[in-house]
Amino acid sequence: MFSNVQPRQAAAQLLNFGLILSTAFMMWKGLSVITDSPSPIVVVLSGSMEPAFQRGDLLFLTNRNILQETDVGEIVVYNVKDKDIPIVHRIVRKFGSGAGAKFLTKGDNNVADDTELFPPGKAFLDRTDMIGSVVGYIPFVGYVTIMLSEHPWLKTVMLAIMGLVVVLQRE
Amino acid sequence: MYSSLVRLQNTFGFFTTVAFVVAAIIAASDLLAPRAPVVNTLEANNVQVATGRPHYYSNKKEEYASIRFTLDADLSSLFTWNTKQLFVYVTAEWPAAGSENATNQAVIWDTIITSPSADHLMNVGPATMKKLRKSAEGKSIDPSRGKISLKNQRPKYQITHPSGKLAEIDDVVLKLHYNVQPWVGALTWNQENLDVGLWKRLKGGVSEKFAFPAIKKKKEGGEKAKV
Repeated sequence: MFSNVQPRQAAAQLLNFGLILSTAFMMWKGLSVITDSPSPIVVVLSGSMEPAFQRGDLLFLTNRNILQETDVGEIVVYNVKDKDIPIVHRIVRKFGSGAGAKFLTKGDNNVADDTELFPPGKAFLDRTDMIGSVVGYIPFVGYVTIMLSEHPWLKTVMLAIMGLVVVLQRE
Repeated sequence: MYSSLVRLQNTFGFFTTVAFVVAAIIAASDLLAPRAPVVNTLEANNVQVATGRPHYYSNKKEEYASIRFTLDADLSSLFTWNTKQLFVYVTAEWPAAGSENATNQAVIWDTIITSPSADHLMNVGPATMKKLRKSAEGKSIDPSRGKISLKNQRPKYQITHPSGKLAEIDDVVLKLHYNVQPWVGALTWNQENLDVGLWKRLKGGVSEKFAFPAIKKKKEGGEKAKV
């Protein structure tokens, strides 16, 4: 089957494959620019916001404050230094406003607020710790990524299948 | 080339397209459901400020306030077929020192009201779950759950301030807010002073101004902290 693949055709397929990847990348980065967030779409990884958000649900974020400042009651995604996993929780306290505002968050399903999750010496979040606040919701779609990160071999399989499809499909 | 692979691809592609279009229509249908939330009563009943360790992680003594309140609200119009849950919360807000526009806000009480179709997701014990399910048997939408009536309700959270000072502050108000969380689509909050299409602003929802009193005696404060 591979014997009659012309070099020109193989190159075109390679280009095609690259085009698909770069389109996806550009869309992701474009959304990043529009929302001013390094990660405009996140997948829920824990059950701390249940029953609203479950593992595998997809959240759309925006990091811009066009109409108003980030406020109490908003569900924000923040990163804590030295921890890789972004946390999706609701703001329950806000002291002051503008760049100097201090925030405290809590998961709806948690008994206690997030003070324990913050690094030692940090009692409040700043606006700069947040990478966005949730505006939209699609259930379940993100479960694929949880599967992929929990079973790394699936990644290899998927890449292999994708590569095969591109090579085999010559039309 | 109509290999089975291509057929599979087309089928899956069509499935995702249909799924997304249906989801988009459901999300958009929210805009067609009128909302007219009303707060009949919201008032602070018993405000106390004490010194102590309000949280288990408090490493120093600080002043904290505890506000009992009365709430009577009708949020039943927020429950539609796309409502998964309603998150209702009461905040205390008071002006921040130094700047005119800045405020301090803290949630003193909140509750999750699920639609009957989302009851199974609630994180409650089996007895409560049974009761919850029974309360709306046979219904997939139950607007009556949106009627809230609380009298002299104890707050869920004690208020603190980073400065550790709370006593004798004027111009504190309670505000009711809500967050509608859908099965699919956009999250929406209460509109404070703007009608959007069929969605009316929250009527009422702000209490009269009150003040944090002076600190109560230490002994009582210690007792309160245990609650």
